[in-house]
Amino acid sequence: MAQLEVENVTLTFGGVAALTSVSLAVEKGELVSVIGPNGAGKTSLLNCISGFYHPQRGRILFEGQEITRSSPHEVTRKGIARAFQNIELFSGLTVLENLMLARHTYLGYNLFQAGVFYGKALDKEVENRRMVEEVIDFMELEPYRKALVGNLPYGVRKRVEVARALSLSPKLLLLDEPMAGMTLEEKEDMVRFILEIRAQGTTVILIEHDLGVVMDISDRVYVLDFGQVIAEGPPEEVARNPRVQEAYLGVGA
Amino acid sequence: MRNPWAQTGNYRTSYRQDTSIFATHRELVSLLLFLGFLLVLPQFLSRTQVFILDLILVYSIAVLGLNITTGYAGLINIGQAAFMGVGAYTAALLAPQGLPFWLVVPLGGLVAAFFGFLVGIPSLRVKHLYLALATLAFQVVFEWTVGHLPLLKQGGAMDMPRASFLGYEAGFRNHFHFWYYVALAILVILALFFRNLLRTRYGRALVAVRDNDRAADAMGMDPGRTKLFAFALGAFYAGVAGVLYAYLSRAVVIEDYTFAVSIKLLAMAIVGGLGTLVGSFLGPAFLELLDVNMEALSNLIKALGFSVAGVDVASALRPLAFGLIIVLFLMFEPRGLYNWWRLVRSYFRTWPFKY
Repeated sequence: MAQLEVENVTLTFGGVAALTSVSLAVEKGELVSVIGPNGAGKTSLLNCISGFYHPQRGRILFEGQEITRSSPHEVTRKGIARAFQNIELFSGLTVLENLMLARHTYLGYNLFQAGVFYGKALDKEVENRRMVEEVIDFMELEPYRKALVGNLPYGVRKRVEVARALSLSPKLLLLDEPMAGMTLEEKEDMVRFILEIRAQGTTVILIEHDLGVVMDISDRVYVLDFGQVIAEGPPEEVARNPRVQEAYLGVGA
Repeated sequence: MRNPWAQTGNYRTSYRQDTSIFATHRELVSLLLFLGFLLVLPQFLSRTQVFILDLILVYSIAVLGLNITTGYAGLINIGQAAFMGVGAYTAALLAPQGLPFWLVVPLGGLVAAFFGFLVGIPSLRVKHLYLALATLAFQVVFEWTVGHLPLLKQGGAMDMPRASFLGYEAGFRNHFHFWYYVALAILVILALFFRNLLRTRYGRALVAVRDNDRAADAMGMDPGRTKLFAFALGAFYAGVAGVLYAYLSRAVVIEDYTFAVSIKLLAMAIVGGLGTLVGSFLGPAFLELLDVNMEALSNLIKALGFSVAGVDVASALRPLAFGLIIVLFLMFEPRGLYNWWRLVRSYFRTWPFKY
């Protein structure tokens, strides 16, 4: 059985169908991309998986457990992490604090241990700090550790966004346009990070507009258009699909 | 060999050290010296002067609670005085039964925390100004209820007994001194508790909910529970402050816990610096001392004989100065007195270097 199964999910807002009977299956360790023109329903699909939206029909299974109606924090606790498209960091906190927030559920001390800050609270903080430092090291964020997120340049904030999702120690990572608006070098760095994350065994679902990147690094590609899956398969196959070419370039191209 | 007293800047070399509150030895020692100064200070002051310090300490506890709810968690609360009142009326009912004050203080806090929890429930649904209205509703309901309950003398004065501790009686002469030390001890404990929370997941969760509750949800924390926690904890602090205020003024009257007092607490939080720990002490100290000085100034004006027919210049001066100060702060230093404190602190941290 696949790690993540999305079965015939339909999501409507009033009379507008954002997703119509979308199905998707992702195996453990895969890097799957979801592409499609603007407004095709890519982010809506991620919102359904991560619990921000609840589809009207269909169901979503993660490791065999149904998460269709779960709230975002319940989904996160099951091991699905998400990096947002429009950076949703905590701007009043430092990079370090943002990443430590992702360790929230791993810091199992109670209010009074926290209030005296001795013993378990201190130990857990230090232990999780060590883990967060590994992520900082991995995402090359060392110079920004103590900087307020609100003061960082856009490209770095995008990286912090991914680092925060990684700090959740997820089994499945959802990346919503992690390379949007980045320079070529920043994109190359990000691709390197994504391939490295995947090499460590984390399943990745990637939404991306840069088709060059998608075709290069994905195991499989899903193409959405007007809320429906119009093609699915290995990158080369999808690129040859006439319906995909039509969706991207228009009829007769 | 490094001299620990000559530290400038950051000397931390382990993650454990990096969790510490004080950057240098000098900072820790100067705080301890200041606390020592606060311990001996009342010995050199008159009873009325100590009373003003008492007020500053008690309001600091309430403002600290307000900072937890409004400053850190971003949930606007304009009913903090009502939470103080809940604590005070709890004390007015329990203390005459013979309960010692060190039991009444936490009990008053807990009852207030329970009401804070209830008032926080709308915060699961509504935000910003709409939430502020919900807390205002609580303030109104509180005042109305007290005003109609015979049990609470319909808002009239309910006497509070004098307290004693380890055989030490708070009598007429040492009443204000006694409560000075009690309030100081409680303030230090509560401030330290919250300062510790700030470096743990509880403190980070508060700020996360304030900055972005959607993302907080995606971090695996329940934003609703965090908001209720913020309300309950903030109300706990207010409740404790209310009990102390009740003992201090030796009576519980509804006038001490009205909407105007809620606004005063909010003003103290803003002048001190919203969402800062130190601001919770600076704000009350500044506004209370301002109030006293304005009183002195207005007496002087009265004595000098400046008067406009039909207008009491002297008594108009206090609210005028209060309003003016708040407007000036909002215009020129919206980060409050804390920002000045921050500049001074960072200067001394790296002294004798510039940065």
